[in-house]
Amino acid sequence: MTGQAGQGKKPRPGNRKVTQWTRDYERLPGIPDEFIAQDGTPREVWTRFFDAFGGLAPADIERRFGSADRHLREAGVTYRAPGEIADRIWPLSHVPLLIDDSEWQQISAAITQRAELLERLLTDLYGDGKLVASGAVPAAAIAGSPEYLRSVCGVRPPGGKYLSFYAADLGRGPDGRWWVLGDRTQAPSGMGYALENRLVLSRAFTDLYKSMNVERVAPFFEAFRDSLRASADRDEPRIGLLTPGPFSETYFEHATLARYLGFLLVEGDDLAVSGDRVHIRTVAGLKRLDVLLRRVDSNSLDPLELDASSQLGVPGLIDVIRKNGVVVANMPGSGVMEARALLGFLPSLSEKLLGEKLKMPHIATWWCGQKAAREEVLSRLDDFVIEGAYGQSVPGFPGLGPVLAADLSPSERERLRTAISNRGIDYVGQEQVKLSTTPVWDNGRLAPRPFVLRVFAAATPNGWSIMPGGFCRIADQPDARAVSMGAGARAADVWVVSDKAVVASTLLPSVETVRIRRIAGWVPSRAADNLFWLGRYLERAESTLRLVRALSVPQRDPGKGGATAQQSVERIQRLLVTWGATSLTARSQPAKIAAQALQGEDKFGSALSLVRAAQRTATSLRERLSPDAWQVITEMAERLAQEVEDDDGVVSAAELTLQELASFAGLAQENMNRAAGWRFLEMGRRAERAINTTRFARQFACDEASSDDLDVLLTLVDCQITYRSRYLVGPLLAPVRDLVVLDPYNPRSVAFQVSALNDHIAHLPALKENGLMERPQRLAIALQSSLITGEASELHTKSLFALEQDLLTLADSIGSHYFPHGSSATRPEKLTGLA
Amino acid sequence: MIYDIRHVTTYSYESPVSFARCSLRLEPTSSDGQQLVSHSVEIKPHPAARTTRTDFFGTPTESVLIENPHRMLRIDSRSRVDVSRTAPGRGDDSPAWESVREASFGSSDLSAASPIGYVFASPLVPMLEPVTDYASASFSKGRGILACAVDLMHRIRTEFKYDSKATVISTPLQEVLEKRHGVCQDFAHIMIAGMRGLGLPAAYVSGYLRTIPPPGKARLQGADATHAWASVWCGKTLGWVGLDPTNDILVENDHIILAVGRDFSDVSPVDGVIVGSRKQKLAVAVDVLLVE
Repeated sequence: MTGQAGQGKKPRPGNRKVTQWTRDYERLPGIPDEFIAQDGTPREVWTRFFDAFGGLAPADIERRFGSADRHLREAGVTYRAPGEIADRIWPLSHVPLLIDDSEWQQISAAITQRAELLERLLTDLYGDGKLVASGAVPAAAIAGSPEYLRSVCGVRPPGGKYLSFYAADLGRGPDGRWWVLGDRTQAPSGMGYALENRLVLSRAFTDLYKSMNVERVAPFFEAFRDSLRASADRDEPRIGLLTPGPFSETYFEHATLARYLGFLLVEGDDLAVSGDRVHIRTVAGLKRLDVLLRRVDSNSLDPLELDASSQLGVPGLIDVIRKNGVVVANMPGSGVMEARALLGFLPSLSEKLLGEKLKMPHIATWWCGQKAAREEVLSRLDDFVIEGAYGQSVPGFPGLGPVLAADLSPSERERLRTAISNRGIDYVGQEQVKLSTTPVWDNGRLAPRPFVLRVFAAATPNGWSIMPGGFCRIADQPDARAVSMGAGARAADVWVVSDKAVVASTLLPSVETVRIRRIAGWVPSRAADNLFWLGRYLERAESTLRLVRALSVPQRDPGKGGATAQQSVERIQRLLVTWGATSLTARSQPAKIAAQALQGEDKFGSALSLVRAAQRTATSLRERLSPDAWQVITEMAERLAQEVEDDDGVVSAAELTLQELASFAGLAQENMNRAAGWRFLEMGRRAERAINTTRFARQFACDEASSDDLDVLLTLVDCQITYRSRYLVGPLLAPVRDLVVLDPYNPRSVAFQVSALNDHIAHLPALKENGLMERPQRLAIALQSSLITGEASELHTKSLFALEQDLLTLADSIGSHYFPHGSSATRPEKLTGLA
Repeated sequence: MIYDIRHVTTYSYESPVSFARCSLRLEPTSSDGQQLVSHSVEIKPHPAARTTRTDFFGTPTESVLIENPHRMLRIDSRSRVDVSRTAPGRGDDSPAWESVREASFGSSDLSAASPIGYVFASPLVPMLEPVTDYASASFSKGRGILACAVDLMHRIRTEFKYDSKATVISTPLQEVLEKRHGVCQDFAHIMIAGMRGLGLPAAYVSGYLRTIPPPGKARLQGADATHAWASVWCGKTLGWVGLDPTNDILVENDHIILAVGRDFSDVSPVDGVIVGSRKQKLAVAVDVLLVE
């Protein structure tokens, strides 16, 4: 069968590459392929694609692939394999999966039907229970699923639907038809990655993408978002995407979706139940949440009624659902439909509930909870793939995934037999199917690889909307059913290709349905907390870098003969020790101290550690940062992690990083919406700069400061030029103190930072309604007054120390006022004990 | 027999707790051969809200919300219950255990009374092969389900050591089996896990035991605390039968049922989340007096 490909069509002149690729494409024996049909001829859509693709020069192809990969890396498109700590860059296969429009219509109709069937099944199952009572669905096939939530039995889903969205994993079977491999009804992932894959590939191959008439996915997302909005019981609903947090394998996707759909990215801690509603803790107090799109599994949603050990949920959430107080998508308990035990009953249920045959088959499945099926499976055990009836694992055979009896040792085989005989309800036998392959680009040629296609459906007021395209995972192993992104698999974009030109977007909302809005709501406390700390970490990194530079570069005054005076070196070293950037004594070479403070891996105060802390904090803020801002942080972390060769290397690394910090500040200044989020980033930066500048002044402008010290200070706070333009004499104590601490016109002075802080605080909402001034404002105003009325001659080491303490108190009070449930607060705890 | 039950739960916190949301399952059931005569629960500090609903398992569940800062939470529950039931004889004819298994697999009922809800692993009762192997020694081919269950109960009573300090709620079942010791809850969980491993329905029951034994009889283990035992489904005719592996007895008139579920997590008498203190101390006092 192999090697015959391409004979059905004449090679096009000038496109010998395509002919070559086609000839070299070795299909796997007996397995259908997407590119080359059963009869050996390439499918039409693929010919069109490769003709255009082959028109590109080889170097151009590689360049475009490279640019796609770079975009993924720079945008930080990541996932985490189970059990891993570090994020991995998304492995993208550069050749999309192509599906012809007419074939897509059939897939789309089948998925629509299946989604509807599952929705009706759920409605009956958690409602009247007629299907179980009549025997159409065995009670055991439901009761065995950990996703069968007894606490929501008889509860009508707020918003009216169990499934707001649904996904099915598909593969093309040996008969050339598409088959359903599994249903995803809990919280299907992949939608956000599909979006990102599309973005990257359509950018890398703009012309090709345009010429292929690919169906757009944006209207699907719009329909999904609008439907969730419509499910709430008020006009301008607040919608949150509930994530398990940055440690989740697919956190990147949660952030992408939240940003793209305009939802708030929230964790369980951000939410609180009060009255019969769920609320978000924001910097303006509790704000009602109307809809929760969840990426947290049902059982973790409410420690009070479900898994008590869960830290991801909201205590009391289930009770709010019971009282119709919040729409949760999908409704908790919907995951029960993922059970393989149910598969065998779906064909008859479809006829019973919808009055029509299932449009797409699924893998033939025997649930061993029924005697006849169990005996069938046991009698020809080797013919089946044994899977768990409810979850991903096979009970009693952990970690193996699907079990093939033929691969087991005699004793393990006997164990499997006993297990199926005792507890057949836990197992299904599935027919062994080899799924179709799709081409991947492999060193200049095409090679077939098995794949799984995930198709997404969203419930809308006008019926189910199917995303044209989907999320394709390509395996490196022959059995595609075990494809997970952890196991060396790749993802691919999915193009639904039409003969006709695609309309840009047909679902643009009409003018009447969109209200003009200017502020994107209040920031959740946790996000504000993170922004505040992002600002502080970056500013602290800047201070460290300035100290490093001062250690390494001779001072500007040519009369000083180059090197920084020993006394000043000691002061710099002391400062670096105080904030954990170095542990070296002043006797060490300044260059060594500088290198450690720059990139000491084990020093929590080194510039590298601080930038990494900023990066971690930014990870939790992905949906709020522009890709450019994220990229700057990533680059800084990468640069500081690279080993520097010599003293010059230290200086240039410090200087380049300082420039990047400035560009981050510029991005924030120019591009961030002036909503409360921006204010918290700014406040973090201002508070930290005020503290550090005061600390510098206390060291280098202390009562005993030498002119060398003052010179260092002017460099540290970037005021050399200003000072020289004002004073013709060298650095003197009172003028330097005035410029660095009190001067309201100097953007680096303490007074300037405090005045900015004051301004931000005044713009934030008051939490109490008693008319009294709140603590952060009280402290900031008092500080500002003393700085406005202060005189340089009155400043001394002691008063500078007091000023530093006051600034620290102000920063803390901002934290405890606006983020009372931040990292320092105690979490709700489980009452312990039983007698 | 009529019993007066007093069940006082006291939590003391090291630092003030600003907020508590609790679920109470303290109202004895009116079924399975017992009738609730009266019941009241007094809570200090005074809750901001109290609502009662019936949960999936038919247990009255009270939700309590406390919003005043407090250092102590005291839940004082008083009940009067009329108990009148007869346990089946240990040797009674019961269907072969294999047929009971098949009958439960074929159930067309998802309600709390259906055996099918109690065949699968539950949050605190995982399916463990060593536990199943341990249990299977009592289940010889074709033997009556009740005789098998009684045999298993007897073996647990004789082969495991009662030790009130050995385990806490979170002690995994694996450890209980390996060390062969525990309290009522552990023994009930072992019995339940073993039977479920064989595909047989077994439920977890929380409740009380009479404190002072009848004249001439020994005081039962677990009488001054809340107690727990297993309930085993013995086919359609016999239905659910209570077996107390801690005391090696069939449940009759010395047992008062509070709630039935899949394991402790479904029936825990006092449960909740608090915001505030990290350290807490729990004291539970139970008194069960025979009125007549």
